[in-house]
Amino acid sequence: MNDFSVEARGLTKYFGDFKAVDDVSLAVPTGSIYGVLGPNGAGKTTSLRMTLGIIDPDAGSSRVFGERPQAVRHRIGYLPEERGLYPGMKAREAIAFMGALRGLDWSEGRRRAATFMTELGLERVIDEKIRKMSKGMAQMIQLIGSIVHAPDLIVLDEPFSGLDPVNQERLETLVRRERDRGATILFSTHVMAHAERLCDRLAIIARSQRRFEGTVDDARGLLPMQVRYTPRADADASAIAALLPAGAELRGDSWFFPIDDADVEPMLTRITASGLGVAGLSITRPALHDAFVHIVRQVDASFDANAGTDAVEEALA
Amino acid sequence: MTPFLKNMFVIARRDFLAIVATPTFLLFLLAPLFMVGMGLAGGMGASQLADSARGAGRIVAVADASDVPALRAADVRLRGGLTRQVPALVIRIAGPANADPVAIAREKGSDTYAVLSGPLATPRIVEREPDSNAGRYLALLADDVLRSKAAGPLPPVAPRFESLSSGGTSIALQQSLGFGAVFIIFLLTLLLAGQTVSSLAEEKGNKVIEILAAAVPLESVFLGKLLGFLGVAVLFIAFWLVMALAGGLIAALQIDPAALASVQSASKAAAALAAAPATGWPFFLGIGFVYFILSFLLLGAVFLGVGAQAATVREIQMLSLPITIFQVGMFSLSTAAASAPGSRLSTIAQIFPFSSPLAMAARAATDDSKAVHLLALSWQAIWVALVVFLSVRLFRAGVLSGGSSWKFWRRGGRAVARAATAAAATTAQPADPH
Repeated sequence: MNDFSVEARGLTKYFGDFKAVDDVSLAVPTGSIYGVLGPNGAGKTTSLRMTLGIIDPDAGSSRVFGERPQAVRHRIGYLPEERGLYPGMKAREAIAFMGALRGLDWSEGRRRAATFMTELGLERVIDEKIRKMSKGMAQMIQLIGSIVHAPDLIVLDEPFSGLDPVNQERLETLVRRERDRGATILFSTHVMAHAERLCDRLAIIARSQRRFEGTVDDARGLLPMQVRYTPRADADASAIAALLPAGAELRGDSWFFPIDDADVEPMLTRITASGLGVAGLSITRPALHDAFVHIVRQVDASFDANAGTDAVEEALA
Repeated sequence: MTPFLKNMFVIARRDFLAIVATPTFLLFLLAPLFMVGMGLAGGMGASQLADSARGAGRIVAVADASDVPALRAADVRLRGGLTRQVPALVIRIAGPANADPVAIAREKGSDTYAVLSGPLATPRIVEREPDSNAGRYLALLADDVLRSKAAGPLPPVAPRFESLSSGGTSIALQQSLGFGAVFIIFLLTLLLAGQTVSSLAEEKGNKVIEILAAAVPLESVFLGKLLGFLGVAVLFIAFWLVMALAGGLIAALQIDPAALASVQSASKAAAALAAAPATGWPFFLGIGFVYFILSFLLLGAVFLGVGAQAATVREIQMLSLPITIFQVGMFSLSTAAASAPGSRLSTIAQIFPFSSPLAMAARAATDDSKAVHLLALSWQAIWVALVVFLSVRLFRAGVLSGGSSWKFWRRGGRAVARAATAAAATTAQPADPH
């Protein structure tokens, strides 16, 4: 059996003259939770749509469970970015309808709908029409609708947006439970906290291209660790600065500076030997948030630089 | 059942229930009542008008007193053989009071169509319109009176009338049956198929389309929607058919059959019913219904495809005019074909896919071959599939991909512009000094 549930290679899409997605590849290991991160308008949704065969790529191909995505529709559950339900339908019927679209029996769909809704604290609105529900509630209904047929691959496009913290927590639990059931989960987000907690692997898309692929730790490892050091003894600031790597900043009583993995022990040795003492010391990996911002800024900077060079070249020509 | 069909029925079920289980559907179902009511009111008004006008019309013969009985006898005899109604004959005795036929023609209180005066051999006939029917009839009367005078009393002709009760139906009646079939199918399609144009607007409006597109092939979404609307149409027809049958039954029980037989129009209707289409009533009705379904699916598929490209409700409203004109065009073509069976025009109408169901239903009335209908149904079914396939391709390429591809001229224009820029760049390159 293939180790990857989703394999998309070189996906490219033009909207008019604009290249919305440029040579994006995704490989989602079976049974994992995989995050696609990126700023607004980076091309996440278009990449997911192409991966699922909803729109055709201008170049590249996508395989789900080793086949064309259209051939395995019944094994996929999908929550689109633009939420949509028939407002006149009752919640239970709406979920059963979405299950029926993926081949689930209507009555079984209705039964599972009631179970899911009760588990998620929505039992009050089981037979309520969608139009009477809040946006968040309707979103939870749609989420249930996209997993009611127990799919092997669950694709969620920005699932957390529009949910309150309690429902976000419930959704995280649901995602983990589906993964434990054996499903593979692919989701997009621009909220790093969820990705950091949930993802086994992730890809970062910025300016239409994939800029990073790996685990959360890999992403965090892109930036040096951050050190906060507070000496116990009073000493001249310049003397302390000489002890620390270049670029150390004094804010209040503490010094802040980045440090490479290899430099940690030598620095500790220097501090111990100096006799300045340690009133406080923390060495932390930067959060995924920082890594993400770092990557996106780098990409933006290179774009600005290119644009600048182009402008100069044009002016010279 | 294959997954494709299953998906189709899931969509059709949703659409059917969403339409039928609303109060608006009741209004839709009962809408023909307004039409029937208006028609009745209009018809009654028109017939009253015609009745009052008919009572006032006359033709006048000014003749010698001796000719009056002969004139009356000739009028009775000749009137029975005329197909067109001639106004009532008024006979006046020649004398100074009736000397001027023009004055008689201009008398107030009645419409006088023609006045005959003078000797019967050389009568003066004043008529309201030149070469009028009424004037010719008065001349015929004079001629008849003169002949009977010259020949003397003749033994009365005693004709024996025999009717061809089993001699087959006339071509004209069959053609009118064909025309009736075309008209009914057209009317039902016009009333019911046009709705499909806005059917995808709901999914586009509430964003459900992406769920559908991700879950099932778009072909089954389109076909399912068509099927759902067809279900609504069939329900509509069945409802009115039951209403009509029940109404007819009640009327038949209420009215005395003898009175019914004496009414002239009823006997005409009975004659039309007694006429049989060339393929026989059961086959004709059955195939007519099947052709209605095909006509609905064909036109519905076109409207669905066109409507799917529209971005706003306003665009859909704008599309309804060309769509109605298209339908009327198909109707005109088919009626022209129905009135000339076997002509080249009728062959064209039978082959052209969108008029084919109408024209073939008309053919079932006049032509007794049945196998050709199987061919026509397959041909039309292929076109339904083709139209749906093309609509889906356009929808996928345009609407789902976020482009506004139905404005194909723009897309084409942009592509041409891009190609032109590229060509200009390549030709400019050799001349570039760098």
